[in-house]
Amino acid sequence: MALGLTLSANVAHAHVASAQAGAFYAGLLHPLTAPEHVLPMVALGLLAGQQGLNQGQGLLLVFPAAMALGASLALLHPALEWVSLLNIGSAALFGGLVAAAWRAPAVLLYALALLFGMSHGYANGAAITPNLSPAVFIVGLVTAALLVLGYSMAGTAYLLRLQPAWLPIAVRVAGSWIAAVGILVFGMMVRGQ
Amino acid sequence: MIMNIPIPNRWQSLATLAGLLVPALALAHVGQGDIAGGFVTGLEHPILGLDHVVAMVAVGLWGAQLGSPAIWVLPVTFPLVMAFGGLLGVLGVNLPGVEIGIAVSAITLGLMVTLAVRPPLWAAGMLVGLFAIFHGYAHGGAELPESANALAFAMGFVIATGSLHVTGIIIGLINRWPWGMRSLRTGGAAIAACGLYFLVPYLAGA
Repeated sequence: MALGLTLSANVAHAHVASAQAGAFYAGLLHPLTAPEHVLPMVALGLLAGQQGLNQGQGLLLVFPAAMALGASLALLHPALEWVSLLNIGSAALFGGLVAAAWRAPAVLLYALALLFGMSHGYANGAAITPNLSPAVFIVGLVTAALLVLGYSMAGTAYLLRLQPAWLPIAVRVAGSWIAAVGILVFGMMVRGQ
Repeated sequence: MIMNIPIPNRWQSLATLAGLLVPALALAHVGQGDIAGGFVTGLEHPILGLDHVVAMVAVGLWGAQLGSPAIWVLPVTFPLVMAFGGLLGVLGVNLPGVEIGIAVSAITLGLMVTLAVRPPLWAAGMLVGLFAIFHGYAHGGAELPESANALAFAMGFVIATGSLHVTGIIIGLINRWPWGMRSLRTGGAAIAACGLYFLVPYLAGA
């Protein structure tokens, strides 16, 4: 296993055409390869999709921008361990709101996206190593956030316009699964500290 | 330290293969450890315990039998309540008689399906929620291998449990036909019998 990981790391280096492309992909992949970032982003996308595209689309601006801000903060003030608890807590919160099919006031929805966008950005920004360009890494990070949030929001909004009555329920069930994972891992992390 | 503990079962090769596909970047995250192994452990925990399986399927069967809104309220709320039960297990809160509670849940839910009991939604929700705590506690307090990724473990067991509900609901859809109604109630009796079978050793041992 260790051997395999070493090999895959070497392969990854061989692909990198320039250090800056490396930073972009590092920023892109860092949140995408971690369920603790993907699950809350998908849940936020589901929540936004439930509100409809008109109300939800502003999140495509707010959340990635908050992530860029959070990542920049990580460069200034690294090593805040409790941010991970906020991040996994956001899976429980967003998932729970999806399960409840919460009709969110826009201001509150954007405030939540701002707060947790910053916490997710911070955790990812903490992974910027000295050999990576922070700006390029953050561009990759923002791209990842846009992709995950955009696809889950647009996909949900599309599904909810279709006829079958079980589709809105399937979305709520997905939210409750994400929330359940968030609650459990929150507990495991609290115990682990 | 992360990778040197073998996964002592037949999934080892699969888990190793899957682990190789996970970029090394992922290891830099919180909840470090063996992602594939953790996921498989979480996935198989509810499925390998037949007492869990029959009770979870019974939740789906009963939901389908009760029809809307129970058919969706139960599978939406169950994972959430189960997660709180899991939280109790994770935090080491003492909850006595968990195994008995799980066996009793299979008996009770099986009987509900057999007798086609139709309580008000809140009562059905309370009953299922009570049992969800026992089931979640059993998984959450489970011995998580040191090497396993906690998040992957939680995802595995939530997906496994949820899929068992969905299975029960889909089977329960036969309730719309008269023969299906009878088959469903027979199935409920079989689940109650399984629960009784699991309960006997605990009563004999007590």
